[in-house]
Amino acid sequence: MIGHIPLADVLLVSGTLFCIGITGALLRRNAIQIFLSIELMMNAANLALLGYGAALGAPEGQIIVFFVIAIAAAEASVGLAIFVALFRHTETIDVNKINLLKW
Amino acid sequence: MGRLIFDAAALVAIVFAGLMVVGRNPVKSVLALVVSFFALAACYVMLLSPFVAAIQVIVYAGAILVLFLFVLMLLNVGPERPEKTGRPIQTGLGAVTILVFAGLLFGMLRGSAARVPAIPPTDPAALGDPAGLARLLFADYLLHFEAVSVLLLAALVGAFVLAKREDAP
Repeated sequence: MIGHIPLADVLLVSGTLFCIGITGALLRRNAIQIFLSIELMMNAANLALLGYGAALGAPEGQIIVFFVIAIAAAEASVGLAIFVALFRHTETIDVNKINLLKW
Repeated sequence: MGRLIFDAAALVAIVFAGLMVVGRNPVKSVLALVVSFFALAACYVMLLSPFVAAIQVIVYAGAILVLFLFVLMLLNVGPERPEKTGRPIQTGLGAVTILVFAGLLFGMLRGSAARVPAIPPTDPAALGDPAGLARLLFADYLLHFEAVSVLLLAALVGAFVLAKREDAP
């Protein structure tokens, strides 16, 4: 229990968001939308970390989330740079049309 | 009261995350995700982590998603067209995979939540206190903090090299 919120509720929300994210990553063909789904999955993991941290009275949960957000920023900058470079080469970011490595 | 706010914010986060995944227009997806992340920040406040909630709004919803929007506008990507070649077997297998994964995940989380020991209620102000967090971050986790700073530098250089035009000097 965190205040009046049971930990199971927090984990249910976190699991639901993670499943929505994994559905999006499999469903969408636009590379940027796949990337957004991955960001959503990271946020679901953050929610679970904060839930456990608060339920156990441990501030370490917040520290780990701090690092996750910093690494997500680094990942977003490199990932978007890859998409820009990819778009310059192929004029598309549809992952079904990018099959250069399939030969 | 706290539980009501958490549930309402969680519902908004889930609904807008669903809109993000379902929509074919990438710009609308990004905007839906901004709303979802704002709602998640409200959840973080209810989980006694106001500092992380502030970072979530400033860095995630503010900086990272605006970067996405910026790249999307730069590339001028239109909405995704419906797929012409139907792949019924792959679609069915994908749905089964997600359902099995969701079942396993929820089973595991339920078992894990039941095993967390009930502790006497901690002082909410102490847990979310930025001064205490900073003390922990710059003493116990200083090495990790420095490693992240090197990682951000590497990401900066990597993004520059990747996005640079090849014919540029």
